[in-house]
Amino acid sequence: MTASTPIDEKTDEELAQEARAGSRRSFEELALRYKRRLFVFLRSRLGSDQDAEDMVQETFFKLYRNIGNYDPAYHFSTWLYTSANRLAISSYRKRKTAESRLETDGRREPADPAAAGPDGESSVDDLWAEARTLGGSQFRALWLRYGEDLSIEEIAATLGKSRLTVRVLLHRARTNLMKRQGDKPCSAA
Amino acid sequence: MFCRLTHWMISRAADGGKEMPRFADRHRERCRACGDYARFAESLPTRFAGETPAFLAEVPGFSLDFAKTPAVSSGDTRESRSGRRSVLRPLPIAAVLVVIVSGLVLYRVVPREAPLTIADKNAAIAGLASVTAIPNDFQGAVAQAESPLVRERLILEKSVRSAIEYFQARLNIEIAKKQGSDSLEKRQLL
Repeated sequence: MTASTPIDEKTDEELAQEARAGSRRSFEELALRYKRRLFVFLRSRLGSDQDAEDMVQETFFKLYRNIGNYDPAYHFSTWLYTSANRLAISSYRKRKTAESRLETDGRREPADPAAAGPDGESSVDDLWAEARTLGGSQFRALWLRYGEDLSIEEIAATLGKSRLTVRVLLHRARTNLMKRQGDKPCSAA
Repeated sequence: MFCRLTHWMISRAADGGKEMPRFADRHRERCRACGDYARFAESLPTRFAGETPAFLAEVPGFSLDFAKTPAVSSGDTRESRSGRRSVLRPLPIAAVLVVIVSGLVLYRVVPREAPLTIADKNAAIAGLASVTAIPNDFQGAVAQAESPLVRERLILEKSVRSAIEYFQARLNIEIAKKQGSDSLEKRQLL
């Protein structure tokens, strides 16, 4: 790939390397490619659209600041999701601490609304929508496996879990998903 | 129980793990539920991939504010960060401090004296010449000087003489000196 290659034909890793060399345009292209995908991932952890939007913004802000740390030997998506996951966990902990202070007021909100399922606003009645009902961790494992095509090792590194835990999460997600789709014909059959 | 195990094997195979064991493979062929699960697991990559665009299209639109992000310098920020950290690395600083302190303990710093003037140099050379000059009575002093060998021989002669006196007194005999053997003392006196 040369510099004359159209920017939308470049791989994520090429764009990341250009961004590392100081190209803001390349980073914006990366953000454009991933902002919706990252939103889906973060919404499952943070529970609300607004929080997910803020976290997407914060993640890209952090990544742009630390783009010099990006190692081209790894997929850009792995680096992106790992950073986003860590930021989301940090944000969740801060929020939990703040909520525990307000607990005496009796105005405590659910700690992880994603675990309770989607907010029900989605009109899409498809596999992903059903996957969202499985709960945060199973959905995130499915998203990284099938939405981002990451390997078990990459998912484990991204989520900060062991490979066995990721395999178990995916197995449970598949089993639960099949149960919920029990009355629907399998398209591959 | 066996179906659960087979399901797990199917999931593991779908995730790129080990291949299905033969017993699980045979069970899957015979068991309808396990066969359905295997087909479902195999269909997921295609189904999810096909439905991803529609799922993402449902995501509410929002824009990222890149005006807030600072410009990245053309250089490698990792290098600049490591360079900044290297100044604050505690280990090399501690090592340098230990070397300095141990040097101060073991050695004393003494300031050098002022350099010699020409007059001082001349006086030092003159003093050195007076010390190293050959004295006037050098020949006599050399003649009077006893070499270590002569001194040793004199001591030996004295010891022999006292031993002879002892034997004469003890054994009641007389030991006489042979002709022509003078002592060193006599020779020197002559």
